[in-house]
Amino acid sequence: MWLGACRHLILRDRGVPQESARQSPQSYFATFQRGATAMAMHGWSAGPARPLNWLDYLPGVVQSTGLLPSLALVAALTVCLSIATKFLDLPHVSIVYLIPVLIAATRWGAIPAVASAIGGIASSAYFFYPPLFDWRVSDPQQITDIVLFVGVAVVTGRLADNARAHMSAAQKSEAEVRSLYKFSRRLAAASTVDEILAAARDHVSSTLGRRILLFQANPDEGEPTVASGASGLQQPPHQQLSRAGHSVPRAPPLADDSTWVKRPICESNPTLGTVALDLGHPPPHKVQSLQNQVAVALADVSATLERLDVARALEEARARSSREAFREAIIGSVSHELRTPLAGILGAASILSATPFAAQDKRLAALLDVIRSEAERLDGGIQKLLDASRVSSDGLRPQRVWTDPADLIDAALEPYRRAHAHRFQVLLSDELPLLHIDPILVQQALRLIIDNAVKYSSTESAISVEAEDDGSRILLRVRDHGMGITAEERERLFERFYRGPRHQRLVAGSGLGLWIARAFLVANEGQLEVESAGTDKGTTVTVYLPIRPCPEREARDAT
Amino acid sequence: MTRLSAVTLVIDDEVQIRRFLRAGFELEGFDVVEASTGLEGIRVATLTPVDLVIVDLGLPDMDGSDIVERLRSWSSVPIIVLTVRSSEQEKVRLLELGADDYIVKPFGMGELLARARAVLRRQQGTIGEPIVRIGSLQIDLAGRTVTRGGSELQLTMKEYKLLQILARHAGTVVTHQQLLKEIWGPSHAHDGHYLRILVRKIRRKIEDNPSQPSLLKTELGVGYRLIGQSNS
Repeated sequence: MWLGACRHLILRDRGVPQESARQSPQSYFATFQRGATAMAMHGWSAGPARPLNWLDYLPGVVQSTGLLPSLALVAALTVCLSIATKFLDLPHVSIVYLIPVLIAATRWGAIPAVASAIGGIASSAYFFYPPLFDWRVSDPQQITDIVLFVGVAVVTGRLADNARAHMSAAQKSEAEVRSLYKFSRRLAAASTVDEILAAARDHVSSTLGRRILLFQANPDEGEPTVASGASGLQQPPHQQLSRAGHSVPRAPPLADDSTWVKRPICESNPTLGTVALDLGHPPPHKVQSLQNQVAVALADVSATLERLDVARALEEARARSSREAFREAIIGSVSHELRTPLAGILGAASILSATPFAAQDKRLAALLDVIRSEAERLDGGIQKLLDASRVSSDGLRPQRVWTDPADLIDAALEPYRRAHAHRFQVLLSDELPLLHIDPILVQQALRLIIDNAVKYSSTESAISVEAEDDGSRILLRVRDHGMGITAEERERLFERFYRGPRHQRLVAGSGLGLWIARAFLVANEGQLEVESAGTDKGTTVTVYLPIRPCPEREARDAT
Repeated sequence: MTRLSAVTLVIDDEVQIRRFLRAGFELEGFDVVEASTGLEGIRVATLTPVDLVIVDLGLPDMDGSDIVERLRSWSSVPIIVLTVRSSEQEKVRLLELGADDYIVKPFGMGELLARARAVLRRQQGTIGEPIVRIGSLQIDLAGRTVTRGGSELQLTMKEYKLLQILARHAGTVVTHQQLLKEIWGPSHAHDGHYLRILVRKIRRKIEDNPSQPSLLKTELGVGYRLIGQSNS
């Protein structure tokens, strides 16, 4: 700052006018200018909102309050000098008038300094230079004195004025830094939105010196700012605030004629909140600068709130990933703990079935078959529970690869081939496009659908599995001739744990199958549709999966 | 069914699993040695000449893939991994680390024995027969011809290459990645759709019912498997 001030003086000494230096954006004084701008913005804001008086409506020059004291100083000095000249001979009395000029320049600025300089010349001419008590001056030596005095007064006045401006800028920026430091310490200590909002509210009101009416984390829907009328300000009426559902807290009744500015805390993210500031009765020429000050003060706050938002998102992500790790651990442990004994049972039963004893004794073979099929059912149940937990914890992340629909059907039917209970018919149209899906999830969904067909139709009946494409989708259809579905049952079919009374009577189940199947298919952008002509008319379940364009060169390079 | 007097090392922490595996293998004429931890398993494998290793993926002291990696660092003994369902990426990783095959728990003993025979046959037959017979299919690896029911099949270069790789691994699974790299080259390791289309074409030539293949089986999410040889 001091360096900037020195450069400024040097430049002025070379005769460059101050105003042009300030206006040039490429000037050396960018630093200085920023300081000056900051000063101008915060200069008026110290202290609480004050009532405006008539001075505020006068041009800035006349607002300088040092005018009267400066002239009073000149008058007092004149009295002292007129007493002193009775005892002493003072030929260059005008020099003494530099004292009030310097005092006025350092304390009140250039205008009072010039005023006191004029007062000094007038007093010298009138009271001390012959002819006395006459404005005229006859002695050429004294005329030179006056000219010199005017020159010295103007130069020292301007210099002192500059020094004063720099000092006050330094003081302002120090106060500003202190306030920001206090604010940032409060922000660092704050851990909730409410604490941050309180800190931000105090900071904004102390920086701007204005009353804040609303500062809430939940903004009203839409219309973020002001912008009614040419000034960009509006007068937010009570009705509008209460219509949006905000309480109007702790605020004294609104004076209907005071001007308000209302805007989102953060322009880019209106969800952070809205602030309403009481601007009092600013003169029209101050409106734009007040708006700028509001914007500057809110920039700090919105940056902090956005950071808090990021921190919250990070926190949530951490919690989510630890939840996921926990879920993986549970699934892994359930999978291992339940499946290991099952592996022992099934393995042992499979060995026994292959021995000569089982071949000789039909009853033994039948018992071994019971062990095997029940253990397989248990395994299916465990798989269903694991799948359901994957769905409900939102842990489905499809691993998409190019898959032949025929492979899906073949793999889904695999467990049923050994059972020999139903007649399965597979009907595939030629040249089905490949699917870009997670084959394991879709296969599991198909298996759950086939499982229902097997469960709810008689063992001798036929179940057909078909695949065709309609141009944009591939349709996988499982058709049985079983007990069918009524319109009533169909409505609740995809509910978790729902099982129709007819189904409950027929065979045990969990009510999870179709719910899981649909979730797995939806994760692959697929759909599920169930049709039935009614009781005992059979059921047709159709799976729709989108066809994605295959990467190029497939036909040429594949074979 | 031929009887093989191979020594099988079973590495599993569950005593019941070891018991049924021992019974199953011994009934088929295998000799069985057991280990209940990964470290013990590796020690046994270094001290005893074993022909086959069955290793459980969920051992308490060591990750299954660590065992595969360490065994592979000095031995070419066939390894079959016991895994659980819904971990296709894990299976692929194990196969890439050098496991010969995997089987998903729970499984029937017959299924495991078929895989065991396939990996043993491959191990012993690397310098042996040039002709692989699967059902009515006969693949002559020396003459580079494939016949089905006596008549020669017209195959493209890539179709033959696919059959050749699968025939060399007859009975065991070959991953998508491995097939893509060997047939199209390393730069096509992720062009999975090439492989699906090629498999579909070759199934039309070798299968009786291409939509329900009985010879060239799909291991969803992992790879393909040509079923084991009918006899040898």
